Amino acid sequence: MAENDRRNHSYRGGRKRRYRDDDDFDRRPQRRRYEEPLFVQVRRQLLTIAESAARRAEDDVQGIAKTVTDNYDDEEIRRDFVNISLDLVLEQPMKIPFIAGTVLVAHSLKPELGSEVLSKAAEALQKYIDMGAWREVKLLIRFLGILQPVYEGDGIFPLLEELFARAVDLQTASSEDLLGLELVKIIQFTIPYVMLSPASGFEGQASALLEKTDIIASTPHALVDLVNSFSAEENQEAAGQSVISLMQTQLQSEANQGWELKCLPRPWKDARDAETDEPKSFESVVKVPFPAITVPNPVPNGERPLFPEVYLSVYANQEVDTVPAITDISSSLIRDALVDTINLLDFNRVATAKFLIDIDCYFTPTTFVKRATPFDRMRELIGEVQPWKPEDVAVDAVFSQLFQLPASEHKLVYYHSVLTECCKIAPAAIAPSLGRAIRFLYNSLETMDLELSNRFLDWFAHHLSNFGFTWKWSEWADDLDLPAIDPRMAFIQGALDKEIRLSFAQRIKGTLPDPYPKLITPGKEKDTPDFKYSSEMAPYSKEGQELMQLIRKKASDEEIQPVITAIEDQAKSQGVDDPKIPSTDAFVTSLCFVGSKSLSHVLSCIERSKDRLLTIGAESERARCQIITSVMDYWVDQPGIAINIIDKLLNYTILTPLSVLEWALSESVAAGTILSKPHVFEMISATVGKVTNRMRQIVAARGQHGLYEPQLSVIDETLTRERAEMQALFKYIEDSIVSVAAGSNDEQMERGDGSGTQPEDAIIRQWGRRWLRVFRRKAAVEEAFISDSLANATPLGTQAPPVSQRDDAADGDLDIADADAQ
Amino acid sequence: MSLLAVNTVDRLDRPSAYYVSKNKRRRFNDREEEEQQQEKPDDKLKDATTLYVGNLSFYTTEEQIHELFAKCGEIKRLVMGLDRFNKTPCGFCFVEYYTHQDALDCLKYIGGTKLDERIIRTDLDPGFEEGRQFGRGKSGGQVRDEYREEYDPGRGGYGRAYDEQRQREEDEYGAGR
Repeated sequence: MAENDRRNHSYRGGRKRRYRDDDDFDRRPQRRRYEEPLFVQVRRQLLTIAESAARRAEDDVQGIAKTVTDNYDDEEIRRDFVNISLDLVLEQPMKIPFIAGTVLVAHSLKPELGSEVLSKAAEALQKYIDMGAWREVKLLIRFLGILQPVYEGDGIFPLLEELFARAVDLQTASSEDLLGLELVKIIQFTIPYVMLSPASGFEGQASALLEKTDIIASTPHALVDLVNSFSAEENQEAAGQSVISLMQTQLQSEANQGWELKCLPRPWKDARDAETDEPKSFESVVKVPFPAITVPNPVPNGERPLFPEVYLSVYANQEVDTVPAITDISSSLIRDALVDTINLLDFNRVATAKFLIDIDCYFTPTTFVKRATPFDRMRELIGEVQPWKPEDVAVDAVFSQLFQLPASEHKLVYYHSVLTECCKIAPAAIAPSLGRAIRFLYNSLETMDLELSNRFLDWFAHHLSNFGFTWKWSEWADDLDLPAIDPRMAFIQGALDKEIRLSFAQRIKGTLPDPYPKLITPGKEKDTPDFKYSSEMAPYSKEGQELMQLIRKKASDEEIQPVITAIEDQAKSQGVDDPKIPSTDAFVTSLCFVGSKSLSHVLSCIERSKDRLLTIGAESERARCQIITSVMDYWVDQPGIAINIIDKLLNYTILTPLSVLEWALSESVAAGTILSKPHVFEMISATVGKVTNRMRQIVAARGQHGLYEPQLSVIDETLTRERAEMQALFKYIEDSIVSVAAGSNDEQMERGDGSGTQPEDAIIRQWGRRWLRVFRRKAAVEEAFISDSLANATPLGTQAPPVSQRDDAADGDLDIADADAQ
Repeated sequence: MSLLAVNTVDRLDRPSAYYVSKNKRRRFNDREEEEQQQEKPDDKLKDATTLYVGNLSFYTTEEQIHELFAKCGEIKRLVMGLDRFNKTPCGFCFVEYYTHQDALDCLKYIGGTKLDERIIRTDLDPGFEEGRQFGRGKSGGQVRDEYREEYDPGRGGYGRAYDEQRQREEDEYGAGR
């Protein structure tokens, strides 16, 4: 039947149209009516628990628990209930209190069912602990924590104590330890949920545990400054605290207030006993032992590299608070649930956005003001019990992930896409929130970490490209008088360039109010930039044109060489130091001009001239620099195209990474002013990224199991060589920028009166400091990655085990034995 | 790092219904062959690094496509879809990444968002082969641009087949007068 359907649908004027004329007799088959099987119903109810503002979540909780316990003998329903509950815990953390509530009620009606959920959860928890998947561990423990009233004795506390003991071991072993901090975080984010649960009398244990975590959580980790969104040097006030130190303070103050936890829902609260109609007491349920969980010693670390997390809010310091203050535990609890939801659901950004928009369904009704309440209306609410603006809280969480240092969990474009979807679902509610976030970020441009400024720039342009490039540019119009190297001016120019890269100059010009259009110079509107040799006035103009014609004709090398020689002879006769420079300039500029039609045009031009370009690069360092200069000069008005070509030239190894750095940080540094250009930062980051990616691949190859001599030594040699090259690269950046940051760069000294006190001098030194911070961090992160990965690699000299012992080798034990023997 | 067998919400990184149904139909026609192949439609896409990108404007350039798609990883190759006769862009392209993961991420994060102010479509593709860069419609472009009743300025106006018919009718009307 399916095949028939398809055939009839495939042409216009097929079945549909025919029937449309047949008014009185419609033979379209009716959809067969059927009752939805119960297990499908339960599945749907469970999956959509608490999602609707029209239903009460408490009713969902009790309804599902009742259906499932009434039909306890239906194996399909039972299995679905257990599995889907845990799936939701692991994928939609905001629903954990509701799922746990359902299990609580179900357990009180049918303890067998409760036990079944517990044993399945414990099985999953054990697996994630053994894998070192700490986010999943956190979520499962949170779920088990709310079930505290069903356990005998101390319930979940011994497990938390054991995790703490491991954290202490790790911290004592090394002050640089991060895994211990992760364990402390898990404990911190479990305690409120245990205290939320209907169990009573655990205040003492919670406080005792909190006292213990205090020492670890309150000691600032050395890496916190490295990953801070604001460096303390630039902006002491904005530099955030680490998530665990904030949480520690918040927990202590919450403990003093009797664990009010006002944002977290207690959907089991108005459950009533079926017989007595009294509020249900969960104290009297059948108690079961807390499932046995083994925490290995030492605890393993998972795939995700750990770094301290710093709390960032783009709505800090507004005249009216629209998000919870950092003194309020709600800020951490809501943020944590949202962040996990965002990062876990990267495979469906539409669903993520939907959850963010529906955020008010998952917390207590007094937590938020009504959706889409305008900011001005919030001002009038001051003084009343302060609820927060749901859109701001949601958007804040996405930005915290987009601006995660040293790296976000997913590709940055994921977070772009979540914000785009949020805007699509609720434009009137989200757009003003984004507007205020943009203003905060714009005003922070001078002091924010430079990497983050650039992420902001990239997101801003990409976001606008999804919404017709509309932005209230007029509010920044006064800043257009700032010097070009001011961070705000650099942002505006950079944003317009990025918009053009996603669109085209005339279109962007049309979206700009006065006086912005002047920023889109006539050069930017030209699809094909002028060929400088077309002007008779230009030196070598005749040869330049000749070269261009030859390249266009795809002439052979033999035809090209005489023209090159002619340029070099002429240069020599004029006393030019390196005659290769004018000849390279003419050649590369001609390539760019002939290839200006599209990326594939320029690529095929490069492909054909590859050998010549490789020879130029090999022969003279300065000529290699000239290749970059010519490309950047030709595309000076469309820098996006220029850096794309540079990127391809790196792939062809016509350029080396170091030559790109030399070009930017020495040859063209222009007294440090080049550091203000976003596309230069982009180019350097991409170049360094190429080197570190390659390094990581080699490290991965070196670290793979079952690798023996002689391959081991071969890979190790490559690794040592490339590692030294990478270090040299970072050193080059460090050395060149340190002088800019200190104001002692030669060109800087020569600027103006040389006093270093001109207004722009301070700005340049700041650019220097911000660049340094980014690349020092990159260097540190890469070094840490390499040493972590190599810690467990097979040592050099390990021979393949004799064939008879191969079986033993497979379980990895042998490797460890060998390691000891070394 | 989730170990779940099924996700609680749909995944956006699956092959499209178009790709799956195209395969089904083929298998329906060649029943015997099917038995020999026993191939699931996803298998060919198991390590796919290429994406088909559709609903582009005819005016969207390689650079624009590169700019957006590079956000999901380095691009290995970009093949513009061309009108079979004019060799001008006809609104689709193939983007090849270096890794399968980049291609999946692209489906999740870029498919269904806007490029050049049009919502673009991405679909996992088993890989570009010479010849596939050309439109398969009667007049050289994509089939969908033959029969379109709505005016789409980014894709050559009305459907070409209708355009032709309209032109003919107009000519006849003019001649009659």
